[in-house]
Amino acid sequence: MNFPILTVTLFTPLVGALLVLIIPREDVKTIRRVGTAFAFLSLILSAIVWLNVAQSGSSGIQLEESYAWIPAFDIWYHVGVDGLSAPLVFLTGLLTTLVTFYSSYAVDVRVKEYYFLFLLLEMGMVGVFLSLDLVLFYVFWEIGLVPMFLLIGVWGGERRLYAAIKFFLYTLVGSVAMLLAIIGVYFQTGTFDILEVAAAQPFAGNFTWASIAFWAFFVAFAIKVPAFPFHTWLPDAHTEAPTSGSVILAGVLLKLGAYGLMRIALPFFPEQFRYFVVDVPIIPVMAVLSIAYGAMVCMAQWDLKRLVAYSSVAHMGYVTLGLCAAAAGFGALGDPTNLSAAASGLNGAAFQMFAHGIITGGMFFLVGMIYDRAHTRDLKVFGGLGKQVPYYYGIMLVTGFASLGLPGLAGFWSEFFVFRATIRFIPVAAFIGVLGVVFTAAYILWKVVQNLFLGDLNEEKWGKLTDLTWWEKATMWPLVVIMVALGFYPAPLLNSFNAAVTTILQALP
Amino acid sequence: MEFGEPTLTLGQTLWLLSPELLLVLSALIVMALDAIQLGREDKRSLPYVTLAGLAASLIATITLWGCNTRVLFVLSCDPFALVVKAVALVAVGLVVLMSDVYIRAHSRFQGEFYALLLFATMAISLLGGATNLVMIFLAFDFLSIASYLLTGFLRGDPRSAEAGMKYFLYGAALSAVMLYGMSWFYGLTGSTDLSAIASGLLEMGGPVRLVALPALILMATGFAFKIGAVPFHQWAPDAYEGAPTPVTAFLSVGPKVAGFAVIMRVFMTLVPVSFVDLTMDWRSLLMAIAVVTMTVGNLVALWQNNVKRLLAYSSIAQAGYVLIGVAAASPRGVTAVFLYLAAYVLTNLGAFAAVITFSNQTGSYMIEDYAGLGQRAPAVALVLIVCLLSLTGIPPTAGFMGKLWLFSAAIEGGLTWLAVIGVINGVISLSYYWKIMRAMYLVEPETEESLPTSPALGVALVVTVIGVLLIGVFPAPVVSVIETAAQAFFAG
Repeated sequence: MNFPILTVTLFTPLVGALLVLIIPREDVKTIRRVGTAFAFLSLILSAIVWLNVAQSGSSGIQLEESYAWIPAFDIWYHVGVDGLSAPLVFLTGLLTTLVTFYSSYAVDVRVKEYYFLFLLLEMGMVGVFLSLDLVLFYVFWEIGLVPMFLLIGVWGGERRLYAAIKFFLYTLVGSVAMLLAIIGVYFQTGTFDILEVAAAQPFAGNFTWASIAFWAFFVAFAIKVPAFPFHTWLPDAHTEAPTSGSVILAGVLLKLGAYGLMRIALPFFPEQFRYFVVDVPIIPVMAVLSIAYGAMVCMAQWDLKRLVAYSSVAHMGYVTLGLCAAAAGFGALGDPTNLSAAASGLNGAAFQMFAHGIITGGMFFLVGMIYDRAHTRDLKVFGGLGKQVPYYYGIMLVTGFASLGLPGLAGFWSEFFVFRATIRFIPVAAFIGVLGVVFTAAYILWKVVQNLFLGDLNEEKWGKLTDLTWWEKATMWPLVVIMVALGFYPAPLLNSFNAAVTTILQALP
Repeated sequence: MEFGEPTLTLGQTLWLLSPELLLVLSALIVMALDAIQLGREDKRSLPYVTLAGLAASLIATITLWGCNTRVLFVLSCDPFALVVKAVALVAVGLVVLMSDVYIRAHSRFQGEFYALLLFATMAISLLGGATNLVMIFLAFDFLSIASYLLTGFLRGDPRSAEAGMKYFLYGAALSAVMLYGMSWFYGLTGSTDLSAIASGLLEMGGPVRLVALPALILMATGFAFKIGAVPFHQWAPDAYEGAPTPVTAFLSVGPKVAGFAVIMRVFMTLVPVSFVDLTMDWRSLLMAIAVVTMTVGNLVALWQNNVKRLLAYSSIAQAGYVLIGVAAASPRGVTAVFLYLAAYVLTNLGAFAAVITFSNQTGSYMIEDYAGLGQRAPAVALVLIVCLLSLTGIPPTAGFMGKLWLFSAAIEGGLTWLAVIGVINGVISLSYYWKIMRAMYLVEPETEESLPTSPALGVALVVTVIGVLLIGVFPAPVVSVIETAAQAFFAG
């Protein structure tokens, strides 16, 4: 038997969390060190996992581990990884490490609970990406719920109580629908195994039930993504969450929804997905509205954090749009050009998941850094900060440009591939979607850059504003490096995704 | 089906009855010890003797595992009965751990308290195996009388006295209704033995449903009272609020376990699933009660500010979930019922252990006083939040596994709509469990004063939270035991 690296990666944060729990509350220093060390350890492990996957040359599920968990119900502890999930596990490890490192300096309140919850959350997120059994998937899906709810509720902003319960209720509504669908799928196919269910095509031939089950899964994931009109929890949760919470929310938690669409909704119900994209185009409308509406709302925001939150709605809309484009091509995948175009839609979506995690994660860090100094996020009161905090300005520029999809930075490729597929299969959606790109450029340049950095400096108010400290720079640099590196050389990530999504597409009936 | 009594020697009979006999014996010892120590204020040995009696009975129950025979015509010793006994014994053990400090502080009559608890346990234990309507009635009333006394145990406290009286009046009336229903069955078939009634009904054929159904409804009324199902739930909130809190903890689990054990046995034997036209009737009856019970319990709980009342309404709703499994009437359904009950017993008792810890120190049951408990008593708050999440059905807790089974049983049996109502109720329930979570973690405390836990309560807190998480993460062993028990109704 091989070394169970996935299990070790998965439970390293849990071990860290339990260790944090037994360290005395007063010993804040040790708690911070242990918490950060375990987050870093799982980052290393996730990097090893990804390297393993990349080197194996195989495009299917790898490093599988499978043990009977609840034999009475045929529920398995089945984990595995492929080119789609490995980078996302890495993303989780990276952002959690940065968050725990950053918080070592930025958070002083109830440090013990804070680190415990973040490590627990990391386990939940990694678990979702690794699970290949539906019940296991569901368990990890929900494990992340409580820590996030508490992180918002305890360490959040003024309206944290409202935001926390809204987040909890929204997600719970989605997940109970998914639970019923999971049970229904089990009685249809006789298995909880994600790969076997996909091969068996649950409810095939019974369009009504297949559609009900599809929507149950889809709504659960769409709430998490979040796709319009299920997005209303997000601005509150993101705005009220503490900086680190927003980073993880935007960086990883939203990806759980997108990943679920790609790993479960799409392979289980390709026919329904195609039907609701092409014949009754509900999903593309949701995607396009997310993009256009999200971007337009950004234009109207004066709270910097709320602006970045709404920009997530818009950016995650590209993920949904990429999936739509791929789904529109179903049924004609025998043609290699169609296959490559559909794959490009999924590649773009997956790339966007990763890139958005890096970029918006960085954005929320930057918002937190200015807020900690100025104690306000109101864009109207700033101006001319470019001269006062040049280092911050520089990093914000790179991140902002990456966010609006400037070529040479990470955000460009996802939009490129998504639109490549969309133009081929659903051109109308592409035209509307491109509007979103224009709006994004507008709000990043006008709202963020101009209001914060250009114009005259209010010397009296902001004259004492200090530039980034070493630990803030250390938090931002890895993200900036990845944005630039992926912008110029997206191949490693793209190849990883491409291998996985092509396998998923080829397995479709 | 066999009706004859297997020939058992006296020794074998005593051996098969040993769990109950040990309980009676320890109750008598407790009373004797109490009398001997009459002059002494401090009777610390009593809870330990009680625990020892429960433990002895539990060991006897475990050693009996595998038996499958009838005892004294009216009882059955089978895996199902043993699971019921084991759950009840563990539950009462936890209640005893919670009672120690509380009872010493509130009442002089410790011996009576523990003896009554032991007698009540014996009644639940008998109900697990009862196969005769007379036995069921007697044990039910025995349990009820012990429960009335325990509810009104604090004589000096008018709320406790009122609660006991209310519970008694309600219970006495519904017992009579239940007995009336039972008499119909006797009149119809000339027997009080469940299996004999079942075959008698089968022989009567078609029009039988016309007379059997009202009888069944009358009898079910009594059962519904025991499990606190709507519309026979009104006693619960007042009794729960007025009773001494450890008794509230007992009331929220003991009678429910007994009630569900009897419901399973009566419905599964009396109207076997194969008896199609009659089966359909009792199943739709249960479905209706399940829907109403879940929904009413949860909706009313939304308005509660007192933890005891909130948990009372929540436990009404929980009984509604369990009824989903009964209505499914399949092997998975029966397994679900007892898996959920086991989960619920541990979870609810964990929650009550936390509530009692809190009230021992502060004397308060108001949710707003829980402000900042997460800082004042991190361990207690942790147990309470795990239990509340388990009651909501969030993994990785026992409550989630229970719900997974319940909803699976419903969907498997074609009752998807019932599962949908169940999950919607789960979401509603979060809204009021959240009030406690919110107070504990998200509101700043008014005082920094910490909350010490007594050793006995500490044990109860640790045992319940570990049990809840263990069943949530590794449910396989518990499930396999319960599945064996569930087979009792589906063999052959």
